[in-house]
Amino acid sequence: MIALSVAAVLAVFLLYTSLAGGGTPSVSPGELAGRSDEVSLAGRVIGTPSGDPHAAGLRFTLQDFEGAHKRSIPVLYKGSVPDLFKPGRDVVVTGTLRNGTFVTTPGSMITKCPSKYQGAESPA
Amino acid sequence: MAELGRAALAVTLGLSLYALLAGGFAAVRGRRRLAASARNALIAAFGSTLVATAVLVTGFLRDDFSLAYVAGHSSAALPVQYKVSALWGGQEGSLLLWLLILTGYSALAVWLGRRRQRDLLVWVTPVLAGICVGFAWLLVGVSSPFAVIAAPLDGRGLNPSLQNPYMVAHPVLLYLGYVGLAVPFAFAMGSLLSGRIDERWLVATRRWTIVAWTALGIGQLLGAHWAYEEVGWGGYYAWDPVENAALMPWLAATAYLHSVMIQEKRGMLKVWNVVLVSLAFCLSLFGTFLTRSGIVSSIHSFTQSSIGPWFLGFIVVAVVFATAMIWLRLPLLRATAKLESLVSREATFLYNNLLLVALCLTILWGTSWPILSEAVRGEAVVVGRPYYDFFLRIFGLPLLLLMGIGPLVAWRRASLRSLARIFSWSVGAAVASGVVLIALGAGSSIPGLIAYTFAAFVLTTIAVEFARGTAARRALTGEAIPRAFSGLVARNRRRYGGYVVHAAIVLLAIGVAGSSAYDSVAEARLARDETLSVAGYDLTYRELTERDGANATELRAVLDVQRDGDALGTVAAGKNAYAVEQQVSNEVGIRSDLLTGEDLFVIAEQVYDDGSVQFRVFVKPLVNLIWLAGLVFLLGSLITLWPDGREQRRLVERYARAARSSRRAASAP
Repeated sequence: MIALSVAAVLAVFLLYTSLAGGGTPSVSPGELAGRSDEVSLAGRVIGTPSGDPHAAGLRFTLQDFEGAHKRSIPVLYKGSVPDLFKPGRDVVVTGTLRNGTFVTTPGSMITKCPSKYQGAESPA
Repeated sequence: MAELGRAALAVTLGLSLYALLAGGFAAVRGRRRLAASARNALIAAFGSTLVATAVLVTGFLRDDFSLAYVAGHSSAALPVQYKVSALWGGQEGSLLLWLLILTGYSALAVWLGRRRQRDLLVWVTPVLAGICVGFAWLLVGVSSPFAVIAAPLDGRGLNPSLQNPYMVAHPVLLYLGYVGLAVPFAFAMGSLLSGRIDERWLVATRRWTIVAWTALGIGQLLGAHWAYEEVGWGGYYAWDPVENAALMPWLAATAYLHSVMIQEKRGMLKVWNVVLVSLAFCLSLFGTFLTRSGIVSSIHSFTQSSIGPWFLGFIVVAVVFATAMIWLRLPLLRATAKLESLVSREATFLYNNLLLVALCLTILWGTSWPILSEAVRGEAVVVGRPYYDFFLRIFGLPLLLLMGIGPLVAWRRASLRSLARIFSWSVGAAVASGVVLIALGAGSSIPGLIAYTFAAFVLTTIAVEFARGTAARRALTGEAIPRAFSGLVARNRRRYGGYVVHAAIVLLAIGVAGSSAYDSVAEARLARDETLSVAGYDLTYRELTERDGANATELRAVLDVQRDGDALGTVAAGKNAYAVEQQVSNEVGIRSDLLTGEDLFVIAEQVYDDGSVQFRVFVKPLVNLIWLAGLVFLLGSLITLWPDGREQRRLVERYARAARSSRRAASAP
């Protein structure tokens, strides 16, 4: 009985993966070079964002969280912008790299919300 | 003050450690007085944790910014109710709340069971104390809420999205649920440790499990409602790792609450029940680990912190301990009955369990896939909404159907012919509603259509059950219908309370299917007096207002709403700008139709300098049934939880019988 149900669950699982494929790889700006598949890109917003996300698109730059040489990549984003989006915040967007710019799937931005206001300027 | 808080936590750690060591020693050696002393130490640990919590709350109320935690999560201008809730606005305070609830539950459990379950409690005490030691150690040695700084002039404020009545209740309820699962776990482990394995731990913990499970369920619904009203993306559940973290233990506990009945009635599934109860507890630890370690990226990612590895350690200890205990006691956990037929009450419960656990494990798999794939392939792969939606349909829809079948199938063995007779009403209702729904155009979503016909099936089954029971009672006692009905429910609280909970789940399914499979959305940039139309509604943007609130500037775009030519008043959507926190938050406008349960949901995405506004508008049919389901769920749980004198007497007899038979077993060679 239990073996049978385990087999059934596995079968369903295989059915799903064969139909829908795996998930999206999650990468940092530094790991993006040379990739042309759809990925979810996680990084920190630097510089001053410009443009209208509901018209031609919002342009900003995402940088690696860590590493000796923090790489960064320009991002073009359209759609809803979460409240917490601003320079210095960590965001995740889904999309593909096209001609050196990361073009995102509209509305795919997720910001990480710090429940704590902690960071470089935080009280010890 | 900070010294008092630190000292109180150190005392809690000491008392828990004593309860663990002395309690363990007393249990092994059979020292009754030492066991009583360990029990009292556990109760005292609750007292000292209460003192520590009071110190921190006082710090918040008095704006004592020399406490780093207060300075980091409050400000002088914060309204007083949020000063209290800021206690769990960050990690250290959340851990303190966790410890407070844990010691509170432990104290209550050992106090309530001091007479009837004394010999079992001897073993339960050290298990509970062990869990308390872990959390107390985190608060004393790793992440103290009483760190002191040179007091700044004002605090940094509370995250605006947490300044909301839901965020006052939601974390507390989730913790009441998470932590509550520790109690059945401790009783199960205590029973295994004692080596006298009877059904008493099940009976002793049924209410605890239901309380924890109800709190967890309501807590999640409040969180969903908060996300819906506050976060403002138009949804209520995003399959985010942190949301899944609360859903998984709830699913495991749901499975456990069902399979427990099989063990009570038929003496089967004993190993399975211990596994489920351990799974539920370990998943609640895993949930805290996910939330607090920042190991997977989540909308909720709280700051990455040092306590992640500690939680990983706790999980490993809990899993190893539970597995070892189950393994050691396997010979004592043999079933006293076998499954006789695949068409029986037991079998439907078994299917229900397999589906719930399968759903729980696929969610676990999806949630931990980024970690696993990072370890195996060196690249974190995230699975998205389609993955979870697929499995929710594959496992969730059959579960929905089973809710209508299980309660009516006979124990042991049911004939197919009797099934056809019992289910004639339900099948008729399902087919009829399917036909009507297709005629209304619900065929646009097949999963939605299936969900609705199944929902009709289950609701009819439940209604027929109530009607049949009332009629039988009327025939027996000659009472009037309302009296017979209330008498029926009062005499069978577990059964009929369970049906009410089932009805709540059906409402939830209808609401989820309605709002996700049949919703409409439109988006446009409107200048003043321009109109946007969506699903029969016409919205005209009239004016932009600005007003100074208590601690934020509130900007609102006001729209006139019309449906099919009828004026329905106005709806306002906009943004709040919080000065201290330097944060803007979206404030959505929602117009609920109480008659149809439909919501008009308006987001002001962006306000331009020329006064025009980018709007995003959703129409979500039946979404309010989800929140109604929460109330019905609570009602059903309360019915099953309500003290029942006759049930208590039955349990007393049962304890006595179990104690006699375990004495006999112990004296046998």
